[in-house]
Amino acid sequence: MQIPELKTTLREVKWELDGLSVIQLVSVTSIFTLFMIIPLVSVLYYAFVYQGSFSLFWIKQIFSDAFYFPDSLSSMSLTFYRRAGGNRILITGPDLGVIPNTIFVGTCTTIFATVIGVTLAFIFSRYDFPLKDYFRVAIMVPMLSIPFVGAIGLKKMIHADGFLNTLFYEKLGILPVKIGVEGLAAVIFVQTLMFYPIVYVNAFTAFMNIDPAMEEQAKNLGSHGFHLFRTVTLPLALPGIEAGAILTLILSIEDLGTPIVFQGTTAEKTLTYQIFTKIFTPKGLIRPDATALAAILLSISIFSFVAIRKYVSMRKYAMLTKGEAGKRMISKASKLQCVLIYMLLTGILFFALLPHIGVFLLAFSETWGTRLLPESFTIANFRAIFTNKDVIRAFTNSLSYSTAATFLIIVLGTSAAYLVSRKHIPGMSLLDTLVTLPISIPGVVIATGLFLVFLNSPLDPLKSPIPLLILSYTIRKFPFTVRSAFAGFEQTHVEFEEAALNLGASRLKTFVDISLKLVWMNILAGGMLSFVYCMNEVSTGIVIGSAKPEEGPITLKMLDVLYMLAGGPHMTAAIGVILMMLQLASILVSTYLLRQKATALISI
Amino acid sequence: MVRITLENLTKRFGNVIAVDHVNIDIGDGSFFALLGPSGCGKTTTLRLIAGFEMPTEGRIYFDGADVTDLPPYKRETGMVFQNYALWPHMTVEENIAYGLKLRKLPKSEIKERVREVLGLVKLEGFENRYPSQLSGGQQQRIALARAIAVRPKTLLLDEPLSNLDAKLRIETRAELRKIQRELGITTVYVTHDQEEAMSISDRIAVMNQGRIMQIGTPQEIYQRPRNTFVADFIGQATMVEGKVSDKDGRIRVETAVGVLEGIASRDDANLTVGSKVVVSMRPEYFTLKSEGDVNAIKAVIDHIAFIGKSQRLYCSSEGRRIIAELPPYVRLKLGDKITLYIKKDNTLIIPL
Repeated sequence: MQIPELKTTLREVKWELDGLSVIQLVSVTSIFTLFMIIPLVSVLYYAFVYQGSFSLFWIKQIFSDAFYFPDSLSSMSLTFYRRAGGNRILITGPDLGVIPNTIFVGTCTTIFATVIGVTLAFIFSRYDFPLKDYFRVAIMVPMLSIPFVGAIGLKKMIHADGFLNTLFYEKLGILPVKIGVEGLAAVIFVQTLMFYPIVYVNAFTAFMNIDPAMEEQAKNLGSHGFHLFRTVTLPLALPGIEAGAILTLILSIEDLGTPIVFQGTTAEKTLTYQIFTKIFTPKGLIRPDATALAAILLSISIFSFVAIRKYVSMRKYAMLTKGEAGKRMISKASKLQCVLIYMLLTGILFFALLPHIGVFLLAFSETWGTRLLPESFTIANFRAIFTNKDVIRAFTNSLSYSTAATFLIIVLGTSAAYLVSRKHIPGMSLLDTLVTLPISIPGVVIATGLFLVFLNSPLDPLKSPIPLLILSYTIRKFPFTVRSAFAGFEQTHVEFEEAALNLGASRLKTFVDISLKLVWMNILAGGMLSFVYCMNEVSTGIVIGSAKPEEGPITLKMLDVLYMLAGGPHMTAAIGVILMMLQLASILVSTYLLRQKATALISI
Repeated sequence: MVRITLENLTKRFGNVIAVDHVNIDIGDGSFFALLGPSGCGKTTTLRLIAGFEMPTEGRIYFDGADVTDLPPYKRETGMVFQNYALWPHMTVEENIAYGLKLRKLPKSEIKERVREVLGLVKLEGFENRYPSQLSGGQQQRIALARAIAVRPKTLLLDEPLSNLDAKLRIETRAELRKIQRELGITTVYVTHDQEEAMSISDRIAVMNQGRIMQIGTPQEIYQRPRNTFVADFIGQATMVEGKVSDKDGRIRVETAVGVLEGIASRDDANLTVGSKVVVSMRPEYFTLKSEGDVNAIKAVIDHIAFIGKSQRLYCSSEGRRIIAELPPYVRLKLGDKITLYIKKDNTLIIPL
């Protein structure tokens, strides 16, 4: 850039940056720099430094350890199942070493979730059939993903001596053998059921946004059926589907709750679990080889995020019409199609609702052995929880941390969204990337970084983890509110604000009187989601919280209850039910506020 | 009220030059239109005056005072936006009172002024409605009321009538002009509709690709277009290229359709024998009768479009398209060979 041009740019920046935007810009960037960028950089620093100088020592060490990365085919276990006593077959999935396992789980989960999500989205966007609205709600139930709980419920269901086998092997005699699922296979199974709604929502929006004329034109030229789907519908919806798929991939590889529930099997051999269990030395120091693992996990997820985000945005097709244009393409399903649709939906729903049914059964029972259903039902678990001071304290902790984090998220998220949407300053797209990036950063990595940076500082987590818990929640759950607020600003014409400026209102007055008044529903809805996800945050919560467990969040306490107390799974399930109700209430409120706009919140 | 001066005003967005060294002087109390096709820079020019954009180069003066670096909220302009920008969360009264409250006027006076401007735009009694309860025309008038309630120094209008249907548009623009005269407020009006611009303005700046093509009264712009862009954009014209062959008194031009005589479209044309020019002829100036000092063009009718008050003939002459408008009662049919006459005083020679 030449000097006069640079001068012009500087003049323009000065013009755009009034006092309000400077404060907004400085606070957003400094929070993200301090509590995201610097921690991530220090993770990389520790991973690449050995005895005081730059070195690939730790990385090399990990890649030369067959536990993490296979040195030859023979060190990989490629058996997908094994026979066990009592006429049982255990589906385990392979064991390729920690790093390939993580990628394998992510890939399989993404493929399965995408197939299910796209199929459902296509059915719901193109066919009308009786009871459709009820099914639509039912297939979204897995969105209520409560930490550990889904996995606990499902574990009970798919265990070799669990509900499914009791039902199909013992009672009905349909299965010739008992089939149990464990290890990586169980992680994939649980994650697929947890994440397919994300693909579904994105794909559904994409299908609905296709201009009907596109398909009508293709039909007019003689295309129909699968050919039409393959050549026109699918390619046009692809960017949306890909957005959902990549989010699934990232959530899969950063999931810590599921491996914890299936610990004791190969589910332990995943990156998040390894980092979680190895990060601290017995003296409470950070192990450098674990930071190297964190660096590897970080590069895998960031690479996926950046690569696909670029790819998707390049292929966003400009549609002539927007919104629910696709309504015109919905046709009534014939009798045969109805039968097929019902069979498919029942099949998917049967498995998708298993975890939630399992959780409820666990929460309301004291024991549940090898029988089909628990012998008797009770509310003793809930009574036990509500009288357990530690649980109550953990719950209050989580509520206050989440409230504080949500407050920060709303203030800073609204500022960031406003800047990105309204200010024409070079670097604003960078800010946009910065504040959506946390989607792609695994919680254990952020937690590791925060430890590295803030040990022996005024914010030392060993003294009190509260500030870092609140700030890590803020960073991690930021994107939900930013997205929502940004959508609000984009839907609000800038002329509304200019009209106020024109009449003599200052920037701050305009922001308060006009901008905020017009988008507060979006902000609140996004804040609601952020709050719910803060309450349910597992990875940073348990890593940072474990520095001082009595100040830890409810998710840490659940882990404690699960493994330490008699009847742990039942009581954990009861906590899960309460969290689930809280989440349901918040989601209902925020969908009510946003109505259809809610779909846009869970995409990249 | 105020005189607006734009001096070398330039606005660049990246590599795109939206406004290119524009110089305009808008007289106190006059009604000035910025006219041009979409993307010509007229709206950007207006937004520069309002202070929503910062010029890359050049200065803006209100009554000689430099306002280039003033933020929009200190410029005391009243703007009416294309989409009206009435705040949906406020009533009509709250919308209009917003600017008055900012000026800390006493409550009673605010009420009085709201009533006054609502009377001016003939919407008394609409105080408690919300914008969503108003028709497009009513919204437009409330937006105008909100802008003039603060008694701004200048009124800036960004295609304020473009969202109204054709009939309402004509009514509203007459009313708008009446209100502007009553208030005597300097007004800048952006439009792409040349008929609208001509019927309402004291003076017009025709813009294209960020540059001013011509500034003048509606008559000057229609009758003496300085260049082919203006001749083509304002009204319709048949244009034939040619070369000046003689120049004593009238200018004589050799063209494909024959030798045509006419007058230069501007006084500073500096035409000499051999200059390349374009001959521009308005369709409504053609007749079928030779009367007085006329040019004659032989042509064949290719297509007749019946409009109602007239009929438009698309003719060809030596491979050139000639468009003529004749009264509806003249009986003509496709393929007729006719001779079209046009007075030499109505034949414009535009330098290239």
